[in-house]
Amino acid sequence: MATFTIIDPVTRIEGHMQVNVTIDAVDGVQQVVDAHVAGNLFRGFENLLVGREPTDAQHITQRICGVCPIPHAMAAVMTLDAVSKTKIPVNGLLMRNLVMGANFVESHILHFYLLSALDYIDGPAMRPWQSTWSIDRRFDTATTNVLIGHYLKAIEMKRKGQEAAAVFGGKQPHSPAYVPGGFTNVPTQEQITLFGQYADELIDFINNIYIPDAEALASVYDDYKDIGKGYGNLLSFGCFDEDVKGKHRLFSRGTVMDAHKKKPLAAAKITEHVKYGWYKASTSNINPSVGQTETEYPKDNAYSWLKSPRYMKAPMEVGPLARMWVNGDYTEGVSVMDRQLARAYEAKKIADAMKRWLGSVEVGNPVFVKTSIPMKGKGFGLTEAPRGALGHWLKLEGGKIAGYQVITPTCWNCSPRDDNNQLGPMEKALIGTPVQDPDKPVEVLRVVHSFDPCLDCAVHAMRAK
Amino acid sequence: MEVTRRDFLKYCGMSAGALGLSMFDLGLLNNALAADGAPSVIWLQGSSCNGCSISLLNRISDTAPKTVDDLLLNSIDLIFHPNVMGPAGSEAVEAIRATKSYILVLEGGVPTVYDGMACKVWSENGVDVSYAEAIRSLAPGAMKVICVGQCACFGGIPASGNNPTQIVSASSYTGLETINIAGCPAHPDWIVGTIAQLLIGNSVPLDEFGRPTSIFGETVHSNCPRLGKEKATTFAETGKCMMDLGCRGPFTYAPCPYMKWNNGVSWCINANGPCIGCTDPSYPTAEAFYSPLGLTSFYGKKNRK
Repeated sequence: MATFTIIDPVTRIEGHMQVNVTIDAVDGVQQVVDAHVAGNLFRGFENLLVGREPTDAQHITQRICGVCPIPHAMAAVMTLDAVSKTKIPVNGLLMRNLVMGANFVESHILHFYLLSALDYIDGPAMRPWQSTWSIDRRFDTATTNVLIGHYLKAIEMKRKGQEAAAVFGGKQPHSPAYVPGGFTNVPTQEQITLFGQYADELIDFINNIYIPDAEALASVYDDYKDIGKGYGNLLSFGCFDEDVKGKHRLFSRGTVMDAHKKKPLAAAKITEHVKYGWYKASTSNINPSVGQTETEYPKDNAYSWLKSPRYMKAPMEVGPLARMWVNGDYTEGVSVMDRQLARAYEAKKIADAMKRWLGSVEVGNPVFVKTSIPMKGKGFGLTEAPRGALGHWLKLEGGKIAGYQVITPTCWNCSPRDDNNQLGPMEKALIGTPVQDPDKPVEVLRVVHSFDPCLDCAVHAMRAK
Repeated sequence: MEVTRRDFLKYCGMSAGALGLSMFDLGLLNNALAADGAPSVIWLQGSSCNGCSISLLNRISDTAPKTVDDLLLNSIDLIFHPNVMGPAGSEAVEAIRATKSYILVLEGGVPTVYDGMACKVWSENGVDVSYAEAIRSLAPGAMKVICVGQCACFGGIPASGNNPTQIVSASSYTGLETINIAGCPAHPDWIVGTIAQLLIGNSVPLDEFGRPTSIFGETVHSNCPRLGKEKATTFAETGKCMMDLGCRGPFTYAPCPYMKWNNGVSWCINANGPCIGCTDPSYPTAEAFYSPLGLTSFYGKKNRK
């Protein structure tokens, strides 16, 4: 008999999102056989930027996401630096990297413990943590209690990562310090010392708690190295420029198709499809540099407020695993646990780099250079957010913003089907996920959370008729 | 995870002045927290960036209570919060429906385009429920409605410009007198302090925009350490007044200069970022953040091609 279960909302992610999965037996194993992933919030940020002064973009676009605002500030000022052909001072570059690095590290810690861990362990037996989805718990009570202790410690470390960002950035969430031409805060020795103390604490937590916990999870749940594999198409814009010319980055730019060799990336080959999004069909399959955001709701067959970005027509997975793979730092595999492990190792790599950047800051050297933004022009800024590749595309006319397009990491990962009916990366990764109890599909949550989607997520599970 | 009530009081004591709590109030708070049955809180998110929830997680200093979980464990009964709660799906929604006495916290504005369907919060009995509809069903029964952050209070950035999704502030959408904790994001101490006032049973005096006067009673300008200092003509000039870079301090009511942000680490002006007026109902205005004078002196128009 067919059963129909609605699980909505799925929690412990950011934003509003829905996942419908169809569950059926294949070769005697009950598993996901179809999936639809849908974004349930439309705000139209791109439209409300039109007509504004270009220097407003960093303030406005940070408010796209309170979890990873700094990468939006970074992308916005990189875009304006590109349009105005500005080379920022080394100290300005280091300031930008340090604040964004702190945002990455605390976001990864937040993800593993607050957003993801409760798919594997039971939290404290009270609201808001207690759930009846207590399925497939493999850690013993003692270990679970240790992990809950780490969960609580993680909240503190997340807060300290935000405080570290505020040392140079003024405040978090939403820093006022990113400007085209560099950075507003002029570092002092006192600030450098304080940031270093925070970095040391974060590194200690990552090395001695976060990474061991991630490795323990991957070991105890090692079947999840074969679950949630998806396409194996990985894309990274790269980020954390190591020099002011942008020639070297901590994470390099590139793509990997079907988990094979790295290839260079050409931004011109990105298009956004809208066949299954609530957008007008006339705006489909175009590059974001000339992209438009025109809604159409309701619309036949559409099921998401997300567009479907594609690279050379292919759906691409983005995030820490993509970055680490493209950069040659982690090439073990593509799966739920590979995503978790790559994220933990990446936190260490970034935190260590923060110490290095901090040592390069020269007190007294400039952080900012005056720049002249043209009245007319086009440009884009490609960087990475904790959850993956982030791009801003800008068109200037009459000194004002005439067009602005943003492609967020979650757009890549959680996109609906495209014009060629190819599933989005998360949809594809969900296929084949074994599910013990369709009424409580915790396994689906594990796959969904491994991508660290920046959306509220809702899962509708139904069994095939 | 013990002694959290004492720790909470210690925390309240530390910031009592800023929160408008007297020592008498702190005694009452102690009694309120000692009573059985912590008050229930339902926290909904609409058209927002979740930044106010992230900000709330930052709210504690090194002195205990160290983390927000202490508050959750002993001071309030958090029925629903999309980012931190364990349960998902119908289990999460049923918990809301089973709650009869609660404080409703709203984070995010209310998109009204497409009958509210630009923001769906959950489905119930197989039907999609919009944020707007969730507010309609929950606000009338709430002991009090607290709007957290600029989007809920006034619409905020998603409601600016041509307001693509026809956002109405959550505050006005309820049709009730709400407590408006302004800010983009709201400061964690402002949120916790206001909840503390409600736990005591105090009335919270509000200004004409629904903001607690104890928090939003003075302008940033009037307490600014750079007041009367030499004027900055471009960015990254430490210690100078940023009036010519578009600073909104003179008409922005907020305690940032003395309360600061992120455990007292810094605040916008300390990082040479002009105040962008993020607690004012007009935020964000149509004018450039660095106007009126900032643009001509910084991105000089005569230099622009």
